Amino acid sequence: MKPLEIIEAGLVPYSEALEWQRQLADDRITGQLAHDILLLLEHPPVVTLGRNSHAAHLLRSSGIDVFEVERGGDVTYHGPGQLVGYPILDLSGYKQDLHWYLRTLEQALIDALGVLDIPAERNAGFTGVWTRGRKIASIGIHVKQWVTWHGFALNVSTDLAHFDRIVPCGIEGVVMTSVERERGAGRSEPLWRESVGAVVAGFQKAFGASIIPSPEGAALAHGSTRSARL
Amino acid sequence: MATKVHMEALSPTMEEGRLVKWTKHEGDAVKSGDTLAEVETDKAVMELVARADGQLLKVVVPEGSTVPVGNVVAWIGKPGEKVDGDGASAPAATAPVPAAKPAPRQPPAPAPLPAPAPPAPQPVPADSTRVKASPLARRIAKDAGVDLKLVQGSGPGGRVIKRDVEGAPASSAPAAAPAAPRPTYHAPRTAEPYEDVPLTQIRKTIAKRLAASIGPIPHFFLTTEIDMERAAEAREALNTQLGEAGGKISFNDIIIKAVALALVQHRACNAWFQEDHIRYWNEVHIGMAVAIEDGLITPVIRNADTKSLREISTESRELAGRARNRRLKPEEYTGATFSVSNLGMFDIDQFTAVINPPEAGIVAIGSVAAKAVPDGDRVVVRRRMRLTMSCDHRVIDGATGAAFLRTLKQMLENPLAMLL
Repeated sequence: MKPLEIIEAGLVPYSEALEWQRQLADDRITGQLAHDILLLLEHPPVVTLGRNSHAAHLLRSSGIDVFEVERGGDVTYHGPGQLVGYPILDLSGYKQDLHWYLRTLEQALIDALGVLDIPAERNAGFTGVWTRGRKIASIGIHVKQWVTWHGFALNVSTDLAHFDRIVPCGIEGVVMTSVERERGAGRSEPLWRESVGAVVAGFQKAFGASIIPSPEGAALAHGSTRSARL
Repeated sequence: MATKVHMEALSPTMEEGRLVKWTKHEGDAVKSGDTLAEVETDKAVMELVARADGQLLKVVVPEGSTVPVGNVVAWIGKPGEKVDGDGASAPAATAPVPAAKPAPRQPPAPAPLPAPAPPAPQPVPADSTRVKASPLARRIAKDAGVDLKLVQGSGPGGRVIKRDVEGAPASSAPAAAPAAPRPTYHAPRTAEPYEDVPLTQIRKTIAKRLAASIGPIPHFFLTTEIDMERAAEAREALNTQLGEAGGKISFNDIIIKAVALALVQHRACNAWFQEDHIRYWNEVHIGMAVAIEDGLITPVIRNADTKSLREISTESRELAGRARNRRLKPEEYTGATFSVSNLGMFDIDQFTAVINPPEAGIVAIGSVAAKAVPDGDRVVVRRRMRLTMSCDHRVIDGATGAAFLRTLKQMLENPLAMLL
């Protein structure tokens, strides 16, 4: 079993999280970082454009920051209430196969949603995770020398109206949903914690990883920007 | 000796990758381990890394190209070093327009022109052993003295096959042919024989969604003609009863109700095909295809089997109205277990509908029209309707679909039975 350290970083600006990922990935490539990491965090509202983006998919301009990044996929939205996960994995320890990685990432999220009693599935040809015909999690990844960064975004209690600004992942007519919406209202307070726990369990199962909880006050987590939810 | 940089496989099944970005440019110094370019497939981007030190001498494919795995995309070497063939291995990459395939497949000319050998539309590999040809084509070519390099292949992957070789001019002929001016019978308006228009995102999505249905789903179709005389009478009677105040009940409302009731009796048709299981629904939610300005949408009448005709009528009119104004909430157009599509109002006699996955079936309704039908030894005029069910064969077999249709037909032909 490959060890996987979970780092919960709270609310982190997109650019900062990107810097962390690049640094961690470089360290993983050179071997300075000896084990895999799963960064779990939230972003302030931001729109990101993947390598396959079409400007037309950004429907409405707004005060929200827009980043062009080196992950696969089209345009997407990140914001509060969305559980963003950045696995920094050395795939040489698993399988040197990006499609295997994409599918296993989907499986981890499907397993996580199962823990939350939400039936989830793949939608052939559209990377991501879906429930009852709606999209609940998006995926876009980047790999260098078989070390991954970027990752997934699972809507926990995201304000779904923000997705109206874009054509999520370039799929016209896609309807986004969230854990909160699928589970019904009135459970939002423990929902975030439960979702984090479910995602960790999903990774453990799908990747067969052994989880190393992050030491309290992990170097990366900024006390000041920690989300109130944590 | 310069080192080739190849398109690498991101997974064992990957056949080609799209080179989205060069991060180094011709003339840049590179070290082993430096990122040269980004390659995309699916939702993943991988960095193509230099495996040698030196200078990026030549970039062979432009950004946006789709390149088969194993093809050379660039050369690394000492500054000033000559590169083999100087990019001659480039043509395998497609142009940035993703649709274009390199070899325009021309039908083999039925009778080849005797004199000028038309220049091949693509560069021919210099080494004749590299010409792709079937063993039979090779033998025929050898016997007939035909140079395979000059033959346009029409077989799989541009392979030269028997019919390409037969009747091809012997290789001695074209070499001597003078460059005679070609008769221009057709005087093309533009230089290009065709135009490649990149797919817009909506076209891509339509293509993907519909292909995801008709492609992988083994559809089959069952058609039946239903006598609607009694349904028409019942409808007229009900509408008289409802008077001006209540909205009119349509044939479509009656059909939705009948389909829902028939599905209760035939759960085998009220199902979703899922990746590794079939979900048989105990509830009946009927999707109703509604044409809107730039497409179609299927609002859902939930639990249609438990609703009265009047409720179905009010609800379907209300949903269709909001569908046209794009005011439907997502939960109002998702989750159907079976669908009904009706083109009767457009005077379509009969048609087949494409299944809306993951549902396993859809019925396509034609117009209700007066027809002469035999009744014993005489001919009578009856209002009839043709209905075609599309079935996903992974879920519904022929007899299963037929049994459902028989129940549906009985219900529509004896509408009073629906009241039981």
